[in-house]
Amino acid sequence: MNRRIATALTGGTVLLTALTACGESGSSSAGGGESTPAGGGDTIAADLVLGGPPEFQTRPDGVPGLEEVYGITFGEFRSLDAGGPLTVNALANGQIDAADIFTTDPNIAANDWVVLEDPENLFAAQNVVPLISTEEATDGVAAVLNAVSAELTTEDLIALNEQVIIDRQDPAAVAGQWLAERGLDATGTQAAGTDLTIGSANFPENITLANIYAQALQAQGATVETQLNIGSREVYMPALQDGSIDLIPEYTGVLLEHFDEEATAVSSEEVYAALPEALPENLTVLEQSEAQDKDAIVVTRETAEEYGLTSIADLAEQP
Amino acid sequence: MNSADGSAPWDLFGYFADHRAEVLDLLWAHTWLSVLPVVIGLLVAFPIGWLARRYRWAYPPVVSVSGLLYTIPSLALFVVMPTVLGTQILDPLNVVAALTLYTVALLVRVVADGLAAVPDDAVQAATAMGFTRLQRLRTVELPLAVPVIAAGLRVAMVANVSLVAIAATIGIPQLGQLFITGFQLSVTGPYYPPIVLGIVLCVALALLLDRLIVLGARLVTPWQRVSAAR
Repeated sequence: MNRRIATALTGGTVLLTALTACGESGSSSAGGGESTPAGGGDTIAADLVLGGPPEFQTRPDGVPGLEEVYGITFGEFRSLDAGGPLTVNALANGQIDAADIFTTDPNIAANDWVVLEDPENLFAAQNVVPLISTEEATDGVAAVLNAVSAELTTEDLIALNEQVIIDRQDPAAVAGQWLAERGLDATGTQAAGTDLTIGSANFPENITLANIYAQALQAQGATVETQLNIGSREVYMPALQDGSIDLIPEYTGVLLEHFDEEATAVSSEEVYAALPEALPENLTVLEQSEAQDKDAIVVTRETAEEYGLTSIADLAEQP
Repeated sequence: MNSADGSAPWDLFGYFADHRAEVLDLLWAHTWLSVLPVVIGLLVAFPIGWLARRYRWAYPPVVSVSGLLYTIPSLALFVVMPTVLGTQILDPLNVVAALTLYTVALLVRVVADGLAAVPDDAVQAATAMGFTRLQRLRTVELPLAVPVIAAGLRVAMVANVSLVAIAATIGIPQLGQLFITGFQLSVTGPYYPPIVLGIVLCVALALLLDRLIVLGARLVTPWQRVSAAR
């Protein structure tokens, strides 16, 4: 009998550990809450704590870019997640003062947060674009996905995210509804004979976009498998390159930076034009949509009013 | 489709109804990802455990080294597996291999101790009756060690059911995906249904697999019931 209890206890503890590990994987991966020494002296930024994804601390348009372009260094940088629940909740409850959040995040409007302007274009354009393995990029598949890209707008992204994140509707249903509204659900044979595995990153917007691609291709006769919610770019990019998946919704700016750290392109056109050169031969981007989901430095309304902030540049001023 | 306020823990039934096919797929994947490593792990651990029992000097190093395997963080192990095995990054084999390692870590000691727990007089009697070493292992030592080995198997099985969940972070679909989904949708407030559903299914699966091991062990050791009845 004792042994049975012990077994049950062990199981319970391990399960709990597993759950905790799941929840914390985002914050612990880069030694959460490492502080960056304040170098800017008496700036507003030095008083504030910035939160963002772990890689924001090192990537060119992250903490180093903020210092180089705007001359600001936050009092502290906390490694959280890529605009996910950790970052959003930390900003909402005041554990951080400013956050790297994506512009299509419905929480910005829901909380009346302020997106700081980026006059120096620190953040490059981030147009939604289908990234596909070159051998699967047939004319039929390209035609279907280009038609989707032609219809997709930034407002659509925000509306789709609101339905999935705030209203918690099923991403597949939301995707189907959008395709129907845009008349993209007509059945046909444009993509007949193709066999694709579509992946997605582990955040709701990307999952919805992958569902849109999948359903549009299915309607046009393609055989589609989905492997959604794979993980971050570090996981799905190798999966795309080793052929585990064939297609994933991507964002032009980060995609360019992923393959070319020295990239300086900023505008949608420049970034898109630089992509074919930067991508490895086995990967291709189809036409980009006008829909953008950019990084932005976001603060609460109270913080913005307290320090008089409307732009990232304001953070370099004295408090 | 979920209503906007369907975020209480008990809404897991509604969540299940809405995502039935998907959840059942995850449950099935979770089941085989938990069971297969235990089966392979036992097959690997048995000869190692037997050696550790047979050659007394080997016991301390073998048991401590295999036990150390359990201290490798599972997330790290999942992430390095493709490099070690040369597999694709989304290959479920990565998870199976990592969990097999943990199972071996748990079972080597259990097998060695189980064999050591076999009464000496039974072994001597078998030897006196002219059993070869292999015959003795198969017909006397192994059956008598079953209760101890089964107890270890139960721990390994239950531990695996929970460890598998972490593989959701490397894109292998199983019940852990429900925790990630629930967490992703917890921005405006906690969204419990997928999380609670995942926990309930994990616990139910662990209990079921645990029962199966107990039943299996009972089936292959009929004398235990006889002696208990007397």
